[in-house]
Parts: sequence; structure tokens; C-alpha cells
Amino acid sequence: MIHLPKDETKAMVAVHGWSGILLGLLLYAVVLTGTAAVFAEEIGTWSAGHITSQSAFERPMADTMRALGDRTPKQYHEAVDLFEVGDHDLGAFFHRHEMDKGELISRGIFYVVGKDGRVTHSQQGTDEDVYGPRNDNALSSFLVDTHVRLHVPNPWGLLLTGIVGLSMLVAAVSGLLIHRHLLKDIFTLRRKANPVLVNRDRHSVAGTWSLPFAFILAFTGSFFSFFGTIGVPIVAMAAFGGDVVALTEAVYGTPGKPDPRPAAIGNFDRITSDAIVRAGAVPTFVAVENYGRADAKVTTYHPPKSGGLAPISLLYDGATAQFNQVKPLIGPAPSAGGTLAAIMSPLHFGNFAGMLSKAIWFGLGFAMCYVTYTGIRLWLVRREEGARSLGWLDRALVIVGLGLPVALLASTAAFLVAMPMGSATYWTPASFLIASAAIILAGFLWPTSTAFARVLQGAMAAIMLILLPLRLLTGGPGWASAMAAGQPVIVALDLAFLLTGGMLLWSVLRTSQSRQGAGHRVLQAAE
Amino acid sequence: MSPRSRRWIRIALAGPGAVIVALVMMAGMALWLPGGAAGIDNLVLPLILVPLIWAGLFFHACLDRRLGRIAIVAGVLLAIHGGLIAQKFGATQPAATESHR
Repeated sequence: MIHLPKDETKAMVAVHGWSGILLGLLLYAVVLTGTAAVFAEEIGTWSAGHITSQSAFERPMADTMRALGDRTPKQYHEAVDLFEVGDHDLGAFFHRHEMDKGELISRGIFYVVGKDGRVTHSQQGTDEDVYGPRNDNALSSFLVDTHVRLHVPNPWGLLLTGIVGLSMLVAAVSGLLIHRHLLKDIFTLRRKANPVLVNRDRHSVAGTWSLPFAFILAFTGSFFSFFGTIGVPIVAMAAFGGDVVALTEAVYGTPGKPDPRPAAIGNFDRITSDAIVRAGAVPTFVAVENYGRADAKVTTYHPPKSGGLAPISLLYDGATAQFNQVKPLIGPAPSAGGTLAAIMSPLHFGNFAGMLSKAIWFGLGFAMCYVTYTGIRLWLVRREEGARSLGWLDRALVIVGLGLPVALLASTAAFLVAMPMGSATYWTPASFLIASAAIILAGFLWPTSTAFARVLQGAMAAIMLILLPLRLLTGGPGWASAMAAGQPVIVALDLAFLLTGGMLLWSVLRTSQSRQGAGHRVLQAAE
Repeated sequence: MSPRSRRWIRIALAGPGAVIVALVMMAGMALWLPGGAAGIDNLVLPLILVPLIWAGLFFHACLDRRLGRIAIVAGVLLAIHGGLIAQKFGATQPAATESHR
């Protein structure tokens, strides 16, 4: 239990309220899209109808790598990134590092290799082009991008979400400090009290249970936002006179004596099969340094082992394909800073224990959305009688709180239609903007915000219910073929949309029936 | 000092004050923190800790009744870390000039 003096408690209540009000709607948008993005990979599989379950790293790739190296100019042999694209195809980005307007970028040639080992796509470009949205991942990419930078150009988008993260940190800590009876508040839900108290209890209970989670999310989220935008340039300035490449090399580079003599790359199949056995999981990413040189190094990155929190990376000698060592994710040897930095990602994304941790992160993220929404509502209710001008905020809360999920669902439906036509990268964000504009306009024109909230709930239910037929009509795999291909996530997401949509529809219908009944009784009484 | 000006000083210390001190501390910490087993702790830990440092300074500015103490804590941290950075640049500047000759 925390007992702050009266004045300090008052100050903390004000800080808690204003931290939510000033950036609460943005915070809600960031947390809601982040909650959905916990399942970004699964949403990508579901929406694009990917049914291959064998990883690109489980297929032979040694000959492909040699062939790609031969056809790529030597200037792009400095590094190679290997990762999966589309339906478990192999993406290979041969590149070099360079500074562009003070920013470290990668420039080179990107290849997509199909399951038969043939190159299906190649393009020249930078890391921004390579890791940007593609037709088949436009939806999951859109979700992640909204969460990471709210579609505001970098670095401003990242700075904005970083500031939103700090406001969440402030709201979480001040929320903890204003609890006089923390343990009691966790279990207090007065169902028969007046509506304001009932809502306050719900906000308090949801907020208190998710407090540690809110703290972790806010801390790790602001770390990610400020890391590259402010942190790295400042630390590079202090420690390396502004040389960002030197800092990156010191932190992420693999130490060793340079040996620029030409040497053929080792057997990649031996590396990937050995890495899968050692780590107990397929690599999520493979990085090659100095391709085609005697000092080539290959690092494979894997998810954490069962019961572990930090991801694993293994280091191989590139020329001989011999295993070197288990390499810390950051730094050449295990260290406190490296370990802390390595666990920031699993702590933020909740991907350290498979579906279980993802489900918990999704649930707690949803609770955070509820806490943000009800927090702003409570702040408004307390000021309802005093200031009429806050009506716009009430409208804005309904528009963002319920309109954002509707706009996201609209962009999901648009993706399902546009992806088979090859125009999903355009229509996914465009449909979101069109839906958002329509919701904002309708929201301010609708007679009451309560009635508009019901309309939005109805729209949410309707879109959720049509997603399955839409997916099947546009050529998505059916439940039998998804299950047979080992992709139960497609069925699970279909069911989740159907159940949630059904429950929402039932709730909307029940509310309108009870309102009609109440209206009927009022009329009878008046007669 | 009037309560109104006290409040604005507190807001200035909790807002822009805490941001400036946290950023200068992040830069300065890279110069005095030990590198650790991998030689990178001094580079990585400031990057990780900066949100927490900012939060600490922010809540200190909100909760400490004595404005003078808030200003002293922030000022000392700023002076130490700012001084370390100035010393580092002062030391590298002549060396860079020498190497250009």
C-alpha cells in the first residue's frame, strides 16, 4: 500500500488524468494496433492464405546461395540478409552499408527464391524497399507500421510513439501511486453502485491487474522508439565522435581478424541443418558478413528455447560452414547490457513462449485499451457538469475508440479483395483512410454519440461476420485444406472473427430491443 | 515566490528540464560506465535506461516539495555529465588538429 501525503496524491491524480487526456487517444491507437500486431505473423498467414508449413531454411539452399553470389556484383557482397517472404519463399538481400543523409542504410539487390530454387523476383534498392510492405503482407505490415509510427514519416513517427510510450509510463506509475488500497482495489467491483462508481471500479481493476504489463510495454516501447532516432546518434556522438557505423560495428559486429582473400562460401545446407538441431527451432533470420571472403561469418537467429526469454543466435565460419559459438544477440560476449537489450524485444512482442505468451500479451493489451478508453470516459464524466465544451472530446472518444477497430476491419476486408488483384499495398491503407474519413464525418454529424457508438458496434459485427465468406470467395483456403496443410491458425482466426462478430451483433440487438421496450413502456405510461 | 510561479518552475523542471538532463546523462554515461565483459555495456545501458532516467526525474520534480532540491539534483547530474562530454570533446579536438597537420 502506498500512502502519499494529500498534496502529492492530488498532484499524482492530476498527472494521471492529464497524461491520459493529452495523448490518450493516440495511446489507444498505438496500444490497439500493437495488440493486434502481437498476432501479425498469424494475421499475415490468415489474410494471404499461406498454407505452406515447411520453412525455406528446411529446404536445400546451398546451390541457390552460390548461384546468387555469382550473379551479384561484388560491391554488394559486404553482407547478405536471409529471411522468409510470402508463403515460406526465401528472401536474400545482398547489400553494402552506407550513410545517406546522416542515416545508416543498406543498398543492394534483393532476390526472392521460390520453393523450386528458381529466382521469382529481383530488385535493386535499399533496406526500406526490401523490408517495406509487399502485396501478400500488406495487411500485417500496415498494422505494424501503424503501431510503430502511426504512419507519420520517420523520425517524427517514432518520436511521437516514443512520447506516447512515456505518457503511458507516467500514467502507469502515477496510477500505482494514487492507489491507497492496492490489494483491496484489485478485487473491488461494486456492481450495484451508481454507474460512475461501477465504471471507476472496472477501470481500476483492469488497470491494476495490467499495471506491471503497462509498465513493461511503455518502457520497452519507448526504448524501441528512441533507440535509433535519438539514442544511437547521441551515444555515437559521445563515444565515437558521431560515427554511427563505428558504434554499430562495436555493438553488433562479429570480432575477428579481417581476411579479405577470396574464398567460396561454405555449404549452407550444413549450416542451416546444424543450426536447427542446436537451437531446436528454424531460424527466423540469417545474416552473412563478408560473403565470398575467407573471413565470412554466418549468424543464425532463433526464437528463445523452451523456458527461455532471450532469443538465440549461433555463429558459423562462412567459408568452412563450421560451427563457431553460441553468440549473444548483442556484443561479442555475454554481458549485462547485451542480455538486457536482447530481452527488450520478447518482452515487448510477447513472442518468447509461442502462442501462450502471445495470447497473454494480446489479452493484457486489450485490457490496456479498455483502461485507456474508460480512463478518458471517467475524466469526462467528472467534468460533465462543469464544461459543455468537452462534448467534442466525448465524440472524439467514440470516433477513435470504436471507429478505429471498424476502420482496421474495413482495411482487412479491402485487403482480402485487393490481394488477388495484386493491389493490396495501395488498397489496404487507402481503405483505412476512406473508412476513417467516413467515420469521422459521420461521428460529428450523428445526433448523439451513444447512438453513433451503437452504429459502429453494428458495423464492427457486420464486417467481422463477412470476413470468412469474403476470404473464401477471393480464393483463400478452406478449413479442411488449411488443417491438412498444418495451418490451424487460419481456422482459429476465422472462428475468432465469427464468434466476436456474433457476440457484438447480439449485444447491439439486445441493447436496441431493451431501448425499444423502455420507449414502449414510457409511451404506455404517458397514455 | 508565488504559488503560480512555483507551479510553472515545477512544470519546467518536470517537462523540458527532465528531457534535457536525461539526454545529457545518456551521452555522459557512455563515458563513465564500465564496458563489461563484452565491452559494450557503456554503450547499450544508457540507451536502455534513458526512459527510466527520464521517469525518475519527472516524478522527482512532481513529488519533491522543495523546488531547490529538484533543481540541485537535476543541475548536479547535468553538470557532471555535461562536463564529461565537454572534457571528451576538449581532449579529442587537439588530437584531431594534430593528426591533420
